[in-house]
Amino acid sequence: MKNYFVLAAALMLFAVSASAQKFFTKSGKIEFDATTSSSPEKIEGVNKTATCVLDSKSGALQFSVLMKGFAFERALMEEHFNENYVESNKFPRAEFKGTVANNDAVNYTKDGTYNVTVKGKLTLHGVTKDVETTGKLTVQGGKISATASFPVLLADYDVTIPGLVADKVAKTAKIGVTCALEPLKN
Amino acid sequence: MKRKKIIIYTVLVLLVAGAVAGFYIYKEYNRKHKDTADLKPDFTAPATQLLGEFGKDEKESNTKYLGKVLQVDGLVKDIVKDDNGFYTIVVGDTASMSSVRCSLDSVHNGQGATVNKGAAIAVKGICSGYNADEMLGSDLILNRAVIEKN
Repeated sequence: MKNYFVLAAALMLFAVSASAQKFFTKSGKIEFDATTSSSPEKIEGVNKTATCVLDSKSGALQFSVLMKGFAFERALMEEHFNENYVESNKFPRAEFKGTVANNDAVNYTKDGTYNVTVKGKLTLHGVTKDVETTGKLTVQGGKISATASFPVLLADYDVTIPGLVADKVAKTAKIGVTCALEPLKN
Repeated sequence: MKRKKIIIYTVLVLLVAGAVAGFYIYKEYNRKHKDTADLKPDFTAPATQLLGEFGKDEKESNTKYLGKVLQVDGLVKDIVKDDNGFYTIVVGDTASMSSVRCSLDSVHNGQGATVNKGAAIAVKGICSGYNADEMLGSDLILNRAVIEKN
């Protein structure tokens, strides 16, 4: 009798994890790195409060990041980032809306690491552009960890770097994404 | 003779000005973030009230609160610890999907271990904005947060 109960519970648990279609996090990590070979020090900020939603059925992928949430080691650098570069008062949020282009290649019910191509639109500093990048989805025990890294040409998003520091800041920033996605229970 | 004196004084004044400017730039460049614990809140309000304001008019609320020091009162809905051991305290009404998510300042991160679910709390942090989301529930984000009352 006890065994049946355990079995039933296990089956129910399996059913829940298998039927989970949407995965999400509210504490995704986004890293911004504009260090160049002539930079006197590292120019990097980290945001740990990104929201990300992935629909495993359609492959739809969304990110929302608050620009003021980027923390830099130097207070001055953080202020410049917010006030002069991304103008976070005017444009508080960056968003990505896209899809996992090869979603069929990912088996969300089987543990493993899958290489994916992500395509979509990135809105930053009020400018929307098409972006495409490769990344990795690792499925483990019903949870997904997603990582990607892609370049962003700052000029594409009308982010201007003052002449005085133009050679100290990379024209293309590296964006790193690390998210641990959990199944969304409805 | 007089001309020589003028030149010497000019050079001296320039040197002093240069040293002052240099010192200022050095100080500015190395300036650390202020500890939120030492900052006086610009606004103190219940979590539910702030979420209501942002839900009604995000743009206006951003103008009012973005980058400001907020002290939020409410009940602890959840305590989230990330892979690196950093705490996020989720404050709000359990009946509502919306919350104020407070990422604790790394210096004060230890406070996170003392928080209990369901307890009344006051958290102070820098308002970094609002994420409206119907499916996941909307969030107001506070960064560099410290716990004021627990």
